[in-house]
Amino acid sequence: MSLRIENVHICSPGSELHGQTAVAIENGVFADAKSTKTDATHDGQGFWLFPGLLDLRAHLREPGLEHKGTMASETRAAVAGGVTTVVTTPNTDPVVDSPADVRLVLERGAAQGHCRVLPTAMLTQGGQGSHLSEMAALMEAGCVALSQGNRPFASQKIQYNALKYAASLGITVFLDSECRDFTGGCAHAGHVGTGLGLSLNSPLSETLGLAADLELVEATGVRAHFSRLTTQRSVERIRNAKARGLPVSCDVTLSHLLYSELDLVDLNPLFHLERPLRTCADRDALRAGVVDGTVDAIITDHSPHEPGAKLAPFPETEPGMSLLDSTLPLLWKLSRDADLPIERLIEAMSRRPAQLINQDHLGQIRVGAIADCVLFDASSHSELTPQGIRSSGHNNPVLNHRLEGCLSQVWVSGRPVQG
Amino acid sequence: MHGPAALQLTADGRLKHLLTTEGLPKSLITELLDTAESFLSSQGQPVKKVPLLRGKTVVNLFFENSTRTRTTFDIAAHRLSADVVTLDIRTSSTAKGETLFDTLKNLEAMQADLFVVRHSAGGAPFFIANRVTPNIAVINAGDGTHAHPTQGLLDLMTIRKHKGDPSNLSVAIVGDLKHSRVARSLIHGLNGLGCQDIRAIGPGTLLPSDLPTLGVRTFHRLSDGLIGADVVVLLRLQKERMSSALLPSEREFFNLYGMTEERLKMADPEAIVMHPGPINRGVEISNEVADGPQAVILDQVTNGIAIRMAVMAMTISTQQDQA
Repeated sequence: MSLRIENVHICSPGSELHGQTAVAIENGVFADAKSTKTDATHDGQGFWLFPGLLDLRAHLREPGLEHKGTMASETRAAVAGGVTTVVTTPNTDPVVDSPADVRLVLERGAAQGHCRVLPTAMLTQGGQGSHLSEMAALMEAGCVALSQGNRPFASQKIQYNALKYAASLGITVFLDSECRDFTGGCAHAGHVGTGLGLSLNSPLSETLGLAADLELVEATGVRAHFSRLTTQRSVERIRNAKARGLPVSCDVTLSHLLYSELDLVDLNPLFHLERPLRTCADRDALRAGVVDGTVDAIITDHSPHEPGAKLAPFPETEPGMSLLDSTLPLLWKLSRDADLPIERLIEAMSRRPAQLINQDHLGQIRVGAIADCVLFDASSHSELTPQGIRSSGHNNPVLNHRLEGCLSQVWVSGRPVQG
Repeated sequence: MHGPAALQLTADGRLKHLLTTEGLPKSLITELLDTAESFLSSQGQPVKKVPLLRGKTVVNLFFENSTRTRTTFDIAAHRLSADVVTLDIRTSSTAKGETLFDTLKNLEAMQADLFVVRHSAGGAPFFIANRVTPNIAVINAGDGTHAHPTQGLLDLMTIRKHKGDPSNLSVAIVGDLKHSRVARSLIHGLNGLGCQDIRAIGPGTLLPSDLPTLGVRTFHRLSDGLIGADVVVLLRLQKERMSSALLPSEREFFNLYGMTEERLKMADPEAIVMHPGPINRGVEISNEVADGPQAVILDQVTNGIAIRMAVMAMTISTQQDQA
């Protein structure tokens, strides 16, 4: 089975096909449109053709939290939003910390998932932060990286040991930098959170943690990827670390690029996030970091919740947004609203994160790469409705909003899939 | 206007809930204070009983400990001839795992007309007001460190009674503003009435970051902030500020910020001294000042009943007219 997609505008930074108007798909991989004989043709009507998006952090909620979402529901949401590869978090119930857990995620993903599911697992047993997990076996079972989810290490000494051990095996670790003494608080410690009388989270919770983690990275030589940075100072620190040649990368969430502390004024629990929305200056620094490449990747940190989790006063609600359904339209919106180049935003959700987890065959429309791609009609509109949303979590801030752009078709490994 | 400020007003600007003093227009604050004064007898005590809310049911929903505030709301509701139900939530269904939302729906089904809400989470009364059936009024009796609007209003009433129009006064607030919903509500109210000189005095660990955006000048030395003040508001210092290492000791606080007769002389000679209570003698205030001629602390309590009567009467009347 082979297919020719023509009359499109290919946007795949770094690929020889970037800017071209046609591509072929043969046996699930991209092929040259001129030299490949194809059985069928898909007329792209002049739409954009993007690589399938790769999300480095999404909570698919299986195993154990199926009341919030399932592999089936959340990967359907992913496809509906143009995401063809999802990297899962290990903080499920139970946590993913053994090869058997990893295989469970892979098998459920393959059986029920609508897109590709790549697992990560815990650096420590049970995510407890005190005993190292069997890192080599976890990677062998199919993990693309190891992390602590959002859990702390019992001590910096143990963290040092975990990073040192991972470094010796060439494993990439994802770190959620946080200084535990400063954690807690549901709003950024700025004038909005103070004015609303909410419990406050100081940016020091992140920057102190990051400073210490960078020291540990330098001391151990581990390949470290910092997740969910939210502050201007964090971006500066990563920029400096990269300039000094440290093996580091980082990501920011789509929510922190789109929103700020100002969105809390109505006490809408949808804007209650685990890492609080910070100032407009922070948001703008994150955006600038994405544009200049200091910020490597954009993630959704997709966190679907049952309705009850958000039906309480703001501080008592569970944090997180359900974003997968609207990922690509939100990237488009971000590009338009903040005047950021769409090429860079796409790259930060495809080629670059694929490189970070050593999946170079993903995230690009280039001859020989896995044929994951999205046909996007930027001239029309879409509206996510409560009936149309695929995620079990309706905690999506653009539910019932009209967004520019509409996904016309998504292919995963060359197969057309329905979100 | 956004959030709580917008939700408490009808389209034509009448008060249907009282959630915060932030954004309350001057005309409405004045109307509230005037109404409250009309509930005071010629001796300055609240009238004993009026039939304004006969047949109405007021539900006190206290998710957080309170004796004084709850009692004054009780008295105010009784004087307006309302039926009062008080729910001690710690012994009721929420303690058994029922969510706030479900508790609310059950109480609504019991035909309440007004909820008085105190909750430890900032924004909880806003959540309730957003979701109650139309025609039920919600009054915030204190939510987290966010707001305590009836306290703010009774403070304004006390200031106006003793010192006249607040727009020409200097008001100095001393102590733990950071954790004080009382201070926040007073500041918003003073801003609403056009007060031009609001000062905050305290150590860096007890002053919040948003004071300049509220038009408040901050001082770390009492002698700098107190000069010429017409109104001195002392705030209660909670013991947990020492255990969370925001202050070394009560003794050091008193030595730096405690109000003594000597220090009070730096303020205007006619200055009044206020405190939301309960007072800590020897911490925020000396015995001499607490019992002295400039203290109006007990008058605040009396005015509190009148203010709560006014707020209940006005919100229920708005809800009734909308029905």
